[in-house]
Amino acid sequence: MRARRGIVTFPLLAGPLFAAMLLFAGCATYSDSFSVIENDMAAQRFEAALQELERQRHPARDQVVYLLNKAMLERMKGDFTVSNRTFEAAKSRMEELYGLSLREQALSVVVNDATRSYAGEEFERVLVHLYIALNYLQLGDLTNARVEALQVDERLREITQKLPQNRYTEDALARYLTGMIYEERGEYSDAMIAYRKAYEAYREYRRKYFVDIPDTLKRDLLRLAQQMGLTGEMQQYQNEFHITHWMSTAELAQQGELVFLLHDGLAPIKREHAVTVVDPASGHLVRIAVPYYETRPTPVNRVRVMAGSSVASAEVAEDISAIAFKDLETKMPAITARALARAVLKAQMAKAARENARQQNQNNAGAAVAAMAVEIAGVVTERADTRSWLTLPSRIHLARLPLPPGNYAVKVDLLGDDGRIVSTREYANIVLRRGAKTYLSLHWIPPYVPTRRSR
Amino acid sequence: MGFPFRVDARLVSALAIFLPALFVAGCGTSVERMDTAEVKDLSGAWNDTDSRLVSEEMIQDVLSRDWLLEFTRKHNKKPAVIVGEVLNLSHEHVNVNTFTADMERALINSGKVQFVASKGERGEVREERKDQDIHAAEATRKPMGQELGADYMLKGTINTILDTSGSSQVRYYQVDLTLIGLADNVKAWVGQKKIKKLVKRGNLRY
Repeated sequence: MRARRGIVTFPLLAGPLFAAMLLFAGCATYSDSFSVIENDMAAQRFEAALQELERQRHPARDQVVYLLNKAMLERMKGDFTVSNRTFEAAKSRMEELYGLSLREQALSVVVNDATRSYAGEEFERVLVHLYIALNYLQLGDLTNARVEALQVDERLREITQKLPQNRYTEDALARYLTGMIYEERGEYSDAMIAYRKAYEAYREYRRKYFVDIPDTLKRDLLRLAQQMGLTGEMQQYQNEFHITHWMSTAELAQQGELVFLLHDGLAPIKREHAVTVVDPASGHLVRIAVPYYETRPTPVNRVRVMAGSSVASAEVAEDISAIAFKDLETKMPAITARALARAVLKAQMAKAARENARQQNQNNAGAAVAAMAVEIAGVVTERADTRSWLTLPSRIHLARLPLPPGNYAVKVDLLGDDGRIVSTREYANIVLRRGAKTYLSLHWIPPYVPTRRSR
Repeated sequence: MGFPFRVDARLVSALAIFLPALFVAGCGTSVERMDTAEVKDLSGAWNDTDSRLVSEEMIQDVLSRDWLLEFTRKHNKKPAVIVGEVLNLSHEHVNVNTFTADMERALINSGKVQFVASKGERGEVREERKDQDIHAAEATRKPMGQELGADYMLKGTINTILDTSGSSQVRYYQVDLTLIGLADNVKAWVGQKKIKKLVKRGNLRY
């Protein structure tokens, strides 16, 4: 009876914090719940992975990640139309989250960062357009792919306006793909601009992520510079790339082209790094939790694509892991600052609760329990925000094979560090049409060791 | 490790009352019937109003021009039109079927123009005709090779220009439609509709 009265006399703090604890701390961090889906993906059981994803609980604040993962699994399954519908839903949800929510800002300072709605990191917001475009291209819908190409441009412009130069403001592969879309449609000046931007972006990539300019892009630049009569620019590229022979636009128009993309492995996963200590000055428990990226390494070192009598090596065109690491690195100071502010506020709340209990009644056990509850809740609710688009690949390799039009059997070998074949995939009846590109994607995920739980 | 500033207990209490209220906010689904002519812009993207504005302008224009009169006088029959592709060159996935269907309806109902089934539509009709050839009674069977050839093809493009700064954006749409003579490639009519919108995104949300 006494204990009950104690809680009633001091319900103001204990109530909500308990509620918050039940809401946010009962479960593990977001990324922990993903290992089942990961295993299904590694076994190429995309339907099972989708069912598992549907089975999990997705609060409104995680809607964007849920939709992104769902759309990606649908794409892996080969349901390109369904996947695009889900991607569009993710896109409009991201758009809704444009404004700043004071309510969520307050919650993130009082409870934790994961209480905020997840709107996607900048690179994730650009890659949405890349994957929608790829879905359309694999459906053979060049017109709608072009719509996405324009949206890539718009999105990158928005990010460039908002972020300083040292952050992720350009996406080389997205630019490159938009160039290919324009070129296939015969819009050479737009294609040239896109290829130039891709080239600039790859130069940045080389510096930041050790990703080199793909050889195919060098040839695209030379071909289009020649086509458009930009002799000076062509010579400049020639001197820089040391390439003397390339296919002209007219020659390429007589050929079909296979564009192969390997979506290799999985992007790094965010884990929680937490420290709990007793503040010696006040005797309060203090906990600080921040996210960090854990790589999910892939054994693929080289990709060999064979069609007819042609063999090509795929080149790394995008290193999403590297981009993700760099991105979190630049955001870390702000995340840490918020975690510290939270620790201060939570400790003060606990202190206020204790003092309140002391003032109420020395012998009131209920108030003391309530005060304790506030302190525990404050510690338990301190979790890192480990949400990210987990179904993204670690790297994207690109190969392009211009071939005479016709039906082809395509064989893809994934080679490991030692040159041994890790995996082989064969496709029968790939149709290449004159003057058109045929896109082929493979999502390959190595069997990962069961992922570690965070402490 | 002491804390550099104090937080008032009353402030904390106020926060404590405020916080749980945030979790219980929610509401049910509501549906409200609207007049189709009512303008309601939600996201600033291409919507029914834009489509309606385009079809209204185009219909009014295409019916009032000389090409119709000239064709009827020269050939002594109504022109037959087929709907070709309206290329979406904009940055949005725009559904162009709504205004081409609007135009088709208005032109047919005007009694001055005939429409023949477009590429997508006629497949099923031909299938049925093939089927009739085997299964239908002689008197009701429709022969093949009797389709009406179109005189004009309706084609078009949608283009956009965006200008964004911060949370404001100017969206400019331009829809161009043309009627091209199938016999001689002559453009008989060109219609154009421009739409400009200023979209401001809220900097705050719930």
